[in-house]
Amino acid sequence: MKKISLTHMKPNHKGTVLEIAGGLNLENKLAGMGIYKGKDIIKLSHIGLQGPVVIKSGRSIIALGHGIAAKIIIGIE
Amino acid sequence: MKMKIYLIGNPNVGKSVIFSRLTGLQVMSSNYPGTTVEISRGYLKLGNDRIEVIDLPGTYSLESTSPAEEVAVSLLKENPKNDSIVINILDATNLERNLLLTLQLLESGFRVIICLNMIDEAVHRGVHIDTAKLEEIFHIPVVPTCAITGTGVKILIARIQEAACSHRSNLSHEERWQEIGKIIETVQHLEHRHHSLREMVEDASVRPLSGLLIASGVMYSSFKIVRFTGEFIINKITDPFFFNLYQPFLEKLTVSLKEEGFLFHLLIGDLINGKIDFKQSLGVLTTAPYIEFGMVLPYVISFYFILSLLEDIGYLPRLAVLLDNLLHRLGLHGFAVIPLLLGFGCNVPGILATRVLESKRERFIAATLISIGVPCVPLQAMIFGLLGSFSGLYVGGVYLVLFLVVIILGMILNRMLGGYSPEFLMEIPSYRFPPVQMIARKLYFRIKGFLIEAVPVVLIGVAAVNILLYLRLFDFITGIFAPVISGILGLPQESMVALLIGFIRKDVAVGMLMPLGLTAKQLFISTALLAMSFPCVATFIILWKELGFKDMIKSTLLMICISFMIGAGLNFLMRW
Repeated sequence: MKKISLTHMKPNHKGTVLEIAGGLNLENKLAGMGIYKGKDIIKLSHIGLQGPVVIKSGRSIIALGHGIAAKIIIGIE
Repeated sequence: MKMKIYLIGNPNVGKSVIFSRLTGLQVMSSNYPGTTVEISRGYLKLGNDRIEVIDLPGTYSLESTSPAEEVAVSLLKENPKNDSIVINILDATNLERNLLLTLQLLESGFRVIICLNMIDEAVHRGVHIDTAKLEEIFHIPVVPTCAITGTGVKILIARIQEAACSHRSNLSHEERWQEIGKIIETVQHLEHRHHSLREMVEDASVRPLSGLLIASGVMYSSFKIVRFTGEFIINKITDPFFFNLYQPFLEKLTVSLKEEGFLFHLLIGDLINGKIDFKQSLGVLTTAPYIEFGMVLPYVISFYFILSLLEDIGYLPRLAVLLDNLLHRLGLHGFAVIPLLLGFGCNVPGILATRVLESKRERFIAATLISIGVPCVPLQAMIFGLLGSFSGLYVGGVYLVLFLVVIILGMILNRMLGGYSPEFLMEIPSYRFPPVQMIARKLYFRIKGFLIEAVPVVLIGVAAVNILLYLRLFDFITGIFAPVISGILGLPQESMVALLIGFIRKDVAVGMLMPLGLTAKQLFISTALLAMSFPCVATFIILWKELGFKDMIKSTLLMICISFMIGAGLNFLMRW
């Protein structure tokens, strides 16, 4: 399994959230929206170079700012 | 002891629609997270009792992360648990994520009843939920509803008293998600569905290339429809009414007033070439109603029609994703596009909507940018009506100036201000196709709000100005400001009156410019000035309330300085 940040993941690929490296506050906030360690997600798109990332997590589609996405570490096959 | 009912749930699950159903009060609802930033209170008749119902802003968990969420959570926590019933509203299409809050509510010991909303939509998408099993697991009532059509709401009301506590031990987030995983496995059954056309469009609108194409298409056609509908109403309905029915009546009145005296000046104003001119006479019965009903109202209707449609379909969050990058440079993030767009209708709800932004710094930037660079519909309608008769280029020019001011000022504020701007984080709702009655009701609600707020102010404003003009009290003020107005801004000194009126209402202010016979350039400069300078009194009050006195003064000083600089600059540049 390879570890990369969500920003480096390619669109339309699947992965598992391994780590949220942004402190407890961010971790709680994301957990509230259904993004937590062990969750499988699909990256849908990435707008521009420094733009937001859109993912599908369970049945929700969530947009994350670039800074947040960079702190989410994903494991891919 | 007074019993209270709280409505709580994740953002965008339909709390406000349920609230309207329970209390009969109309509150604003849209298809994006964070429509409700204020707490609404109403009453539900239950038997012989009237129970207070409180609609809370949406929250993902009981650990609040934004001011709007904080309001919800603190209000819920400060109330004694045995006097309150919590209706936990869940989005049935997304049960898993919604259950986190449910678990937290139950762990905290609230008396809860679950309202499983959007059940029709869930079935439509192949999500089947066994509500009986869910009741068994939690030992609390679970009522499936479809708030938009009202299905299930009666059962919800009938079962409110059954709300119960379900004593559960406190878990960590991770344990909760494991628990939820188990619950979902037993109660939810998913039918396998192929990607529907709707889902493909949903995906395409958040991808870089197709997203931008769709966004340009949506924005362009929205603008076209607003203009077309507005002009249609003016040409086919309001103008015929004013010119064919209303004018003859006023002419009779003119004759009976003998064209002189205070009352004549107040009601009819001045005759232009011996006739009543709705745009120039400036009377309480002539220009005042014509501005509001003949020039502004048609565009208020067409603008809010399109805005309500975009809101309820759920397009705006997608626009937020696409514009996140740009808004970052202004110290904001994608979500700010929603307050900005609302500001185009009226600055007041726009500034109120900035509450969803997390940091003080962001709220200051967004509120200032809205009041300086986002012209409200009444002002825009007047700009189109007046400047449009010269050339569309001038109208475009005003927008270009405002756009550049927003971008440049935003970039400067982003550099200069301390504090932080958090990152964009937003759930993107599915597209929904709102029933016509929903849109119609929302439109009615907004137009009523506009009329209640605008009409008295316009009538009183025009009356007050007429009295001051009749008594020649403005001469003193215009005399003082004459060097600035004519020397630096290149405007006739009478336009000072209009700029001052801008504090009351912007549309009336532009109306005051109509009889002055300004050149296109002067009109261009003065409308741009009116758009940027001092906010109208309603906006001023809301700025004060939302930002506090100090920041409101800061924001206002910025507006005055910048509008003056831009006005002077434009006058200088356009000398050739």
